[in-house]
Amino acid sequence: MEDTMFRCLTVLLLVFIPMVFAVALDESGQGKIFPYTINQVTLDNGLKIVSIPFESPGIVAYYTVVRTGSRNEVEPGKSGFAHFFEHMMFRGTEKFPEQKFNDILKSIGADNNAYTSDDQTIYHTVASAEALETIMQLESDRFMNLKYSEDAFKTEAGAILGEYNKNSSNPFQSIEEKIRDAAYTEHTYKHTTMGFLKDIENMPNQYQYSLEFFKRWYRPENCVVVVVGDFNQDKLIELAKKYYGAWEAGSYKLAVPAEPQQQAEIKIDLPWKSKTLPILALAYHVPACSDKDIDFAALNLLSLVTFGETSDLYRKLVVNDQLVEFVEGDMSENRDPGLFYVFTRVKDPKNINVVRDAIYGAFGNAATTKVSEEKLASIKSHVKYQFAMSLDNPDRVADEIAHYISITGDPESINRLYAMYDKVTPDDIMNVAKKYFAPTNRTVLLLTQEEKEVKQ
Amino acid sequence: MKTITLLLALTIVLMVPTSELFAKDETGLRFTTISLPSSPLIAFRIIVRAGSINDPKGKEGLNSLTADLIANGGTKDLTYSQVVDKLYPWAASIDVQTDQEITTFIGSIHRDHLDGFYKLFSELLLGPRFDPADFQRVKDLHLNYLQNTLRATNDEELGKQTLNAMIFVNHPYGTTEDGTVQGISAITLDDVKNYYKTTYTQANFWIGLAGGYPDNLQETMKKDFSSLPAGEFKEVPLPPVSPVKGMEVTVVEKPTRAYAVSMGFPISINRKDKDFYPLFLANSYFGEHRTFTGVLMNHLRGERGLNYGDYSYAEKFVGGLGQPPFPRVNTPLRQQFFSIWLRPLQPENTHFAIRNALFELKNLVDKGLSTEDFEITRKFVLNYSKLWAATISRRLGYKMDSEFYGTDYFIDRLDKELRTLTVDDVNAVIRKYLNASNVKIAVVVDEGKGKDFLDAMIANTASPIKYASAVTQNILDEDKLIEVFPLNINKEQSRVVSAKDLFEK
Repeated sequence: MEDTMFRCLTVLLLVFIPMVFAVALDESGQGKIFPYTINQVTLDNGLKIVSIPFESPGIVAYYTVVRTGSRNEVEPGKSGFAHFFEHMMFRGTEKFPEQKFNDILKSIGADNNAYTSDDQTIYHTVASAEALETIMQLESDRFMNLKYSEDAFKTEAGAILGEYNKNSSNPFQSIEEKIRDAAYTEHTYKHTTMGFLKDIENMPNQYQYSLEFFKRWYRPENCVVVVVGDFNQDKLIELAKKYYGAWEAGSYKLAVPAEPQQQAEIKIDLPWKSKTLPILALAYHVPACSDKDIDFAALNLLSLVTFGETSDLYRKLVVNDQLVEFVEGDMSENRDPGLFYVFTRVKDPKNINVVRDAIYGAFGNAATTKVSEEKLASIKSHVKYQFAMSLDNPDRVADEIAHYISITGDPESINRLYAMYDKVTPDDIMNVAKKYFAPTNRTVLLLTQEEKEVKQ
Repeated sequence: MKTITLLLALTIVLMVPTSELFAKDETGLRFTTISLPSSPLIAFRIIVRAGSINDPKGKEGLNSLTADLIANGGTKDLTYSQVVDKLYPWAASIDVQTDQEITTFIGSIHRDHLDGFYKLFSELLLGPRFDPADFQRVKDLHLNYLQNTLRATNDEELGKQTLNAMIFVNHPYGTTEDGTVQGISAITLDDVKNYYKTTYTQANFWIGLAGGYPDNLQETMKKDFSSLPAGEFKEVPLPPVSPVKGMEVTVVEKPTRAYAVSMGFPISINRKDKDFYPLFLANSYFGEHRTFTGVLMNHLRGERGLNYGDYSYAEKFVGGLGQPPFPRVNTPLRQQFFSIWLRPLQPENTHFAIRNALFELKNLVDKGLSTEDFEITRKFVLNYSKLWAATISRRLGYKMDSEFYGTDYFIDRLDKELRTLTVDDVNAVIRKYLNASNVKIAVVVDEGKGKDFLDAMIANTASPIKYASAVTQNILDEDKLIEVFPLNINKEQSRVVSAKDLFEK
């Protein structure tokens, strides 16, 4: 499943382990979940440099977090622009035209790419520690002086359409599009990061807007540089001042419309041309990611209590009755109020209603019956160990920190959030189960094979 | 004949003679180890030297189904759910990766929980429960994957598997790693139990262990795994791969808005061969996966905006779709193939894009690399390759793959070989192993459009292209050649098929 849709707490398949001495998990809950030192220096222009020494001799990860994502696309007809712009960032400057930029990256053998989601655009490079100054020179230059022609812009629109196309055979892209479009009426989470297809097709005509986009968002106060690995702190700050010092702060303020409360259940039927088993997707409006309000942490744990591999529902639907291939609950970690999703793929269309009712029943149960302390402890341990074991190389460490920076602006929120998980009680889980899962708060989508498809 | 090689760089804990490439102890088990006492984590890669090539005729998918039932089933004492309950608080997982030659059980655990984890992991492998309900669950998943996912909702994988079936026609590699629809349907739980008895023997077990494990773990594993029958490793003989005659095209029809393309041909070298290394460098220059360093990516996507990506490979390449974009380890093949992957294209540009890719390939074969391109690419691969084994689990995987091929640790050998190469070496190898005239091509197209598409390819109908933007004169001049680039389509070996009919038996 191509899962670039959302950032959420799912059961990950762990195959990576550290090559170096990594965190010894503090079982007492007293210590911080993130065991490395986080240095923070803010330049005069508002650019924050977050740096984390990590034992990866000779390797450094260099990330630039732009706190702009598809959430920022408030104007009609402009959905997908943050993502498109991410592509344009690879199209060169006067000093380092595209070919030269690529040649330099090639010569240092860097792993260099970027991704965009609802709330952020992340540019990431992993390379030899010796190449740090070169990377900073390239990055600062394109963030300040990006320059591309209208022709290059139009050509790149083809690659964006190509990206839409490569996802199009996977029903989950359509499912996400339709659910968001229905569940949101005002807020920009209404469209996916890829954007509406009609806007993608119109992108070649939006050159002027793209220049405006750069001016608004690619500003030091809206970006954070994250460096993890083998570097010298003093040298790093010296280079940061040298290369980024001239970057002018901006002043654009964004007003993203707030989403009004959903008033009634929304139902969507999505016929699918290709052969497919029925997919049932539910979405409920939930609060934004928070390291202060217990509801967010409780909801994240609820997704595992009620839908995780050790949940009663999973046991029933997947293992015992075998009515579905999988069922999972995903709580989005967004800057503004996001969605809590439940996905399941039903093996036989005749069981769709039974499965749906079982899911509703599981929510109902969570609202009336407290999870045992033992089960909650097991889930908390899972969450903590999963996180600890993921910090096995500078790239992953930078990515984790970048995610929280994009949502809250503060890398330390990672520690506060995991401390919140420790605080969540069975009562908290019951409370959020009662509060957020009323039928009027949900969008229900059922994807099924189009009737006229010849059956196997 | 294997040469005796030195295993480089890493601390190796071996309690066996080092005179053979494989460390084989007196019980027949093989071990590959990387001891790193400072690491609090332990990685397991337990390989069973069997894969889809071991599937019996009529029961294709038996290897994969058996392995999946072991990794996602219970033990003698614990049900599957009880196993999950135990693993969960440790955030531990036991995954399995089945391939043509080998099957790898992958586990990782924090040393705090090693004892409990090892007990569970070993019990799953040594005494799997083979519960009938679990069998049904896993069998359904496998069947549904072929019927609903591979045939219907993953066009890129469909293109790749179609190409695999084309290249390895009448060959043990030619089915998917998970078998066929009829094969899986025919498999019973008794089949699985019998396959387990005859395949999961000491001779077939190859235990990979890395990280901060205690000194006595290997001894413990030797003792525990000697409860398996001794068995005997029987390498599945491979016939020669059918040569490619002209352009052999398979057009796969299914409802789709964009057309996926995979093309390639067999090559006679792999990581053990000296010629592999210059070819690997040439391939990086031509189509390095998911980077802007390759010719294909720059010319098709960068300059023309045809699609999201265009890459090439000098050996089987699985995964690499996340971050980082590096392939899975432990997917070795004795007989390899060169391939090109064009990510889904607008229908009206697909014929052009296929021609474009082959035009570039022909240029590569005819002109080779300039000295400058060679030097830049070499520098790139030397640096980039150092990122591939960033974790102990991957390092272990690379080490085991190197032993499979009978070569030094791959990343070290790559470094060593590249430093000795000249541009002439690379260009000679390109001419020897690559070509743009005898290529198998798989294209996924929309329902009802297959015949016209194939007819146009056979007739070499001109396929002009229109751009949303102005492009350089150089591109326009090239396009005039590409639009009519002749492909010598072998009509007898080309066909239109429905996705519904693929992977059936």
